[in-house]
Amino acid sequence: MATADLGKRGALPNPDVETYGEVNRDILKVLSRPGKGWWILFGLALAGVGLFLGSWFVQIVRGIGVSGLNAPVGWGVYITTFVFWVGIAHSGTLISAILFLFRAPWRQSIYRASEAMTVFAVMTAGLFPLIHVGRVWHAYWLVPYPNDRFLWPNFRSPLVWDVFAVTTYFTVSAVFFYLGTIPDLAAARDQARGLRQKFYKIVSLGWRGTDREWHHFSKAYIYLAALATPLVLSVHSVVSWDFAMSIVPGWHTTIFAPYFVAGAIFSGVAMVITLVVPMRKYFGLEKYLTVKHFEAMAKLCLLTGSIVLYAYLVEYFLAWYSGEPPERGSFWNRAFGHYWWANWTMLTCNGLVPIMLWFKRVRRSIAALFVISIFINIGMWFERFVIIVTSLSHEYEPWAWGLYRPSLVEMGILVGSFAWFGFWFLLFTRLLPPVAIAEMKEVVPPPLRGKAPADEAGAAAPAGSAT
Amino acid sequence: MAHDRIPENVPLLHLSGGGLGAALLRGATLVGAVAFVVTLFRDSSLAWKSYVVSWSYFTSIAAGGVAVAVVTWIVKAKWNWPVRRIHQSFSAFLPFSFLLFLPMLAFLREDYFPWIGMMADDAIVQKKQAWLNVPFLVSRNVVGVIALFGLALGFVYLALRPDMGRLRAASAVGEDDESSPRKTSWWVERLSAGWLGDAEEAERSYRRMTKMGPVVILVYAVVMTMLAFDWAMSLEPHWFSTLFGGWYFMGAFWGGLAATACIATWLKDRDEAVGRHIGTPVLWDLGKLTFAFTVFWTYLLWSQYIVIWYGKLPWEQAWINTRTGVPWGGLSALVVVLCFVVPFAGLLGARPKKNPRVLRAFASIVLAGLWLWHYMLVFPSLHHAGDPVFAIETPLIGLMFLGLFLTSVRWFLSTFPVVQAWQPPVDPEPLEAEGTS
Repeated sequence: MATADLGKRGALPNPDVETYGEVNRDILKVLSRPGKGWWILFGLALAGVGLFLGSWFVQIVRGIGVSGLNAPVGWGVYITTFVFWVGIAHSGTLISAILFLFRAPWRQSIYRASEAMTVFAVMTAGLFPLIHVGRVWHAYWLVPYPNDRFLWPNFRSPLVWDVFAVTTYFTVSAVFFYLGTIPDLAAARDQARGLRQKFYKIVSLGWRGTDREWHHFSKAYIYLAALATPLVLSVHSVVSWDFAMSIVPGWHTTIFAPYFVAGAIFSGVAMVITLVVPMRKYFGLEKYLTVKHFEAMAKLCLLTGSIVLYAYLVEYFLAWYSGEPPERGSFWNRAFGHYWWANWTMLTCNGLVPIMLWFKRVRRSIAALFVISIFINIGMWFERFVIIVTSLSHEYEPWAWGLYRPSLVEMGILVGSFAWFGFWFLLFTRLLPPVAIAEMKEVVPPPLRGKAPADEAGAAAPAGSAT
Repeated sequence: MAHDRIPENVPLLHLSGGGLGAALLRGATLVGAVAFVVTLFRDSSLAWKSYVVSWSYFTSIAAGGVAVAVVTWIVKAKWNWPVRRIHQSFSAFLPFSFLLFLPMLAFLREDYFPWIGMMADDAIVQKKQAWLNVPFLVSRNVVGVIALFGLALGFVYLALRPDMGRLRAASAVGEDDESSPRKTSWWVERLSAGWLGDAEEAERSYRRMTKMGPVVILVYAVVMTMLAFDWAMSLEPHWFSTLFGGWYFMGAFWGGLAATACIATWLKDRDEAVGRHIGTPVLWDLGKLTFAFTVFWTYLLWSQYIVIWYGKLPWEQAWINTRTGVPWGGLSALVVVLCFVVPFAGLLGARPKKNPRVLRAFASIVLAGLWLWHYMLVFPSLHHAGDPVFAIETPLIGLMFLGLFLTSVRWFLSTFPVVQAWQPPVDPEPLEAEGTS
């Protein structure tokens, strides 16, 4: 292998992209006028948001009784969906922060979309505690501050930890997302006209792409990446402890924190695939999102999916090994009890279907990945349903066992939450460059006067300029 | 990034064997072996417990080192090119580890596994009989350990092989005589049997290692979990923790990293020719990873601790209460200090990671902490009134394992090139962008 190639080991060049101008043109084209397909999707999303708000309205007017929640199953579809969306949020930070620290260059063309997904997924997830508390006008009680009698909320309650974890995560991921977009917003500003230009002018904070600015930018970026990395672990660990702290059989187990984190990344990467495949096709971004990027994401799914499978197996094994009747009974009930179908859907979608990812041909087929990613999304929703509902329905005392059936209102809110998320994501594809322009330029030969050997130029040129 | 540039021609360097160091290591092994035999007659339970602790510690470092080699291979890491051979060198201990494992399987019964005695009248333990019985214990351990060690050695063989042709050619010309000991030729001959030519061998190794890597990791996770469950968790037969296996094998992985950092910095100081290749960037990266796993290991400890503390179930808390109460609390705190507080504070900045001596000091503290961790996984569970909390025999018996481990690593690095001359092509596949036609 030639020395020039050795220097670029591991980078993912996009051989069909040759100039900076081309990058600007292709990616900013996305922001121009929307096509019919986009409007149809946007209309659907709006209708779904209507369903979402309508269902919630019904619940506010008639009370939480319209849901299927009862004793003993006091947590149902709302908390399931909350955990699902918090989980989806994870891969964004993983891809943008952890892969950045690990110097994995393939992240460059997908991280923008996945960071946006993170922010919108947290925005979706954040609604569910509000919905779940029923009397939403009292939702501010979640915020830890003393009441009139100077009583504080119980800081030993994992639900209070959740408030901290989720708000911190939202703040850091939103700042991280915004910081990364600044150079690209400047690129958009330079091509936009009229009102749009004004908007980009404000949000790009006067970015000019000078050396000094880039210097500060990269410093800030690496510090935020280092701060965001432990957050990826902490947020979902805290969410897992909402369950693991109680002594409900099926919840109270030590593997929950890393298992939830792995599961979250698993579902998040799957969701990135689900979103990016149509985006790539619709906006003609094939040059930037190559098969190699998808293969890398598939491998990430394979890794996290294997960790999740390991956790399933260890949980089943140790439930048996514990020798405790409630522990054993809970897992027997999972597999063969009333909710057996949910459990087997979960095991099929998260355990069996991803086995196909062991084959390179599947990993390199975008159509296959799209289908598998949808299976994983479904499986991961059911995983939370299995953990929450089946465990609660079958605790210690047989007289306290009970069943739960989601109501139409709950299903409306569940479906509507996808529309709410889609609404924001669709807006994102119109307003912000969905692929990081500045980072794409790092792998394109820089424009130079005169003739220069390609590899020397690659080493000497500054890392991408904004416009 | 400049440090990703791997030089075209890496010379074949060997660690010079023999000398005072080798004699010291042989001496340590001998002292350890004598200590074991003497203790066996005086207090066989103490002797065996100490034996198991050091066996599991050094085996997990050896397996963890190979796991580091495999994982960095799978993710196509470039930063560790000068230290790949160091990760691999830990595998030289695995054959010894297997031999040392056999007496554990053959002789350890009621004294070591309390569940054997409890089986008669303990209702909960009786429910676990399908797993907790001696024939199954022995057979699953033999099969698991053979599978893991076999795969690990197979992977290392594939990684070594492309260098062997070059080594053979070099010895034939005579250019390599000075640094390579005479005995190498036998190993070089063996490992280069049926040589197909440089390019083809490199291609073949690349292909096979890439196929084999994920399998090694899967088997590593499963077998290490089994070892943790059998040799540590089952010592308190009522206690269980689902994360215990993961904690154990991630600790082993961390041990592999810290040991790599120790050996790499030692080589850098000792051997100028080798040291030139082990540059600051690779030390920095080793330091970063050692630091990252400090946090990760503690996270796994905390994830278990908080759940058990909060749940307040007596059979779960027993394991922790034993370790935090009198007389074990001090040693448990010391584990946390050595495995978290000191390396976290020490390796937080960039400068300590880049300084070979400082890095080695912190990596050694981590390794000491991990040994104590293994000690704490076993000893408190088998403690009887009147037993000492810590007896000098335990580290003395550990010397036998330390001596054997370092001797085998030293043998490996003096028999095979210290810096892997052959480097994998990172991406031999075409970089086509699909769907643009």
